[in-house]
Amino acid sequence: MGRKLKYLFFISCGASMLIGLFIAHEHVHFWWEKIPVFDALFGFFGCIVIVLGSKALGHHGIQKDEDYYD
Amino acid sequence: MIDIVPPAFIFILGAILLPFLRERRLRQIFQLLIPLIAFIDLLYMHKGTYWVYNFLGYDLILGRVDKLSMCFGYVFVIVAFLGMVYALHVREVGQHVATFLYIGSTLGVTFAGDIFTLFVFWEIMAVSSVFLIWYQRDKSALDAGFRYIMVHIFGGCALLAGIIIHVSNTGSTQFGFIEYGGLASQLILLGFIINAAVPPFHAWLSDSYPEATVTGSVFLTAFTTKSAVYVLLRTFPGVELLVWLGAIMALYGVVYAVLENDIRRLLAYHIISQVGYMVCGVGLGTEMAINGATAHAFCHILYKALLFMGAAAVIYVTGRRKLTELQGRNLFKKMPICLSLYMIGGFSISAVPLFNGFISKTMVVAATGELHRPIIHLLLHLASIGTFLHTGLKLPYGIWFGRVPEGETIEDEEMEATEPPLNMLIAMAMTAFLCILTGVYPQILYNILPYPVHYHPYTINHVVGMMQLLLLTAGAFWLYIDKLGGEAKVSVDTDWFYRKPGVLLLWFVSNPLQDLRLRLQGFFTKMVANITSLSKNPILLPEITARYFHLKIINRLYQASDTYKDKQDELKKLESKLAAAKEMRYDENVYRRPIGLGVLIAIILLFLYGLIYFIRLH
Repeated sequence: MGRKLKYLFFISCGASMLIGLFIAHEHVHFWWEKIPVFDALFGFFGCIVIVLGSKALGHHGIQKDEDYYD
Repeated sequence: MIDIVPPAFIFILGAILLPFLRERRLRQIFQLLIPLIAFIDLLYMHKGTYWVYNFLGYDLILGRVDKLSMCFGYVFVIVAFLGMVYALHVREVGQHVATFLYIGSTLGVTFAGDIFTLFVFWEIMAVSSVFLIWYQRDKSALDAGFRYIMVHIFGGCALLAGIIIHVSNTGSTQFGFIEYGGLASQLILLGFIINAAVPPFHAWLSDSYPEATVTGSVFLTAFTTKSAVYVLLRTFPGVELLVWLGAIMALYGVVYAVLENDIRRLLAYHIISQVGYMVCGVGLGTEMAINGATAHAFCHILYKALLFMGAAAVIYVTGRRKLTELQGRNLFKKMPICLSLYMIGGFSISAVPLFNGFISKTMVVAATGELHRPIIHLLLHLASIGTFLHTGLKLPYGIWFGRVPEGETIEDEEMEATEPPLNMLIAMAMTAFLCILTGVYPQILYNILPYPVHYHPYTINHVVGMMQLLLLTAGAFWLYIDKLGGEAKVSVDTDWFYRKPGVLLLWFVSNPLQDLRLRLQGFFTKMVANITSLSKNPILLPEITARYFHLKIINRLYQASDTYKDKQDELKKLESKLAAAKEMRYDENVYRRPIGLGVLIAIILLFLYGLIYFIRLH
């Protein structure tokens, strides 16, 4: 089950990026939309930025012990 | 045509009648019937203005029907029905009464045609909704409810102040487009964005929604913020400030969601994030953006209700509300149906193609493209990554599959968990069905939007782009899966400003201020007591005064000299004389004077009076 899911995931990742390489972008509003796999890159690095950025913020001030307000 | 009534009144009437139904089955049927009647009522409403009443020279309009109000009206009534199915097992009538009042007042806001009607329903909405929190009946819910109502009362006051200035400036009570600029519009906007949970006025939402009852939180997610989006769409389309607030808000919710451990609070932060898209759409103000904001509100109400239903069901069956308490329980084996239905909500909010978030969220994002707003576009894009990361991946993983981090053990080994009651599952299934239906056939929704829709969500570019974004987000999630588990912490948000300094204020009131009050009170009480005792015998007043000062002066003089000790007896004697004089009651026999004295005084006064009179005459 887990292994199959893993393969399915990798295949769909590959497929979506492969299709992304071949489709032409209509209505391009921003320069980065011309980069073929921009969405994939943005998703991957955006996610990392969100996780690390938020955790850094959390550990440097935002997060307090659970009885902070008691 | 059938004579229709305002949909708000159907719910309010329902709230009044509900307590009189003693039979439980009958009550349940009634609870489901009311939203159905309201829905049929909506079907009979046509564009126009209805139910206009003149009150003190102002027109109160209870029914302004156009495409925008109808779209919100439909979704409010639909989610009212779904929520009622979900809450059918709740025996406490009070909860249902509060819910009906809450829904009724929201519909009142939706169809209000003038700002006074709007304000009245706005306030009922705040007051009725707080009971959905208080019915949880524990201390944290009670406290959160008080904070909730205080913030909303503040917002209501700002709104009322704005309305009064606006009406006295323009003379118009019409609830419609307001030119932004000037104090009146700023106060009205403040009132609205407090309800829309726009940072920094958002903390009431993430503070109170997770404390509400299991079923109450489902209703709370649907009405307050979305009715605020509706009034913003009416009054402030195209206000640049809202574009930025919306985009920041979308990301703000995501950042806090990363840190959150309480499952419903995590979802609450995602309400803030999603409402950010709508607020941004309002600010952009183009036809496409307005359509997008409306469509997103519609879809959001459905999928967020579904997500809250799923999370609340877990809380209902396990009694746990934190990720750290739920990990390692393998709940997916015990409640697979609940998980599957939740996932439909998760995919919808993440805008996976064929689910309803995809057809609405992409519309707002596309509107930013049309207007060439690169920064806003990227901010919203980034927020959608965060949305999928949390509601689509982290939360379901944490609740149903979560592993215990290495080196930690589960405290209490066995935890009872089954699927939630049937009515909850049916409600979730119906909501999930609607999420998919509007996702697959977007025309159903697009046809009721305020402007004609020229947007096609299912182009190959959109679908492939979105799949890339989501799949690679999932990839990154995989890498950080162990970092993303819940931490047993609370996150400090802007509610800090009234929670921590609030304690200081309480200290100030109960210590220095209370002390001052006691001192003042003591002083005045003593004064009153003295006057009372002196008034027992006012004739002796000169004597008492003389004795008092005599005693004081002698006392001081003796103190200055060294004979003080020897004179103690004398002082005591004087003191006792003073006390005796104070104690002496008025007795008319003691002070009886000859009658001639009174006559003499009268004659003297008469003489003086005559003297003055004659002097002045000449």
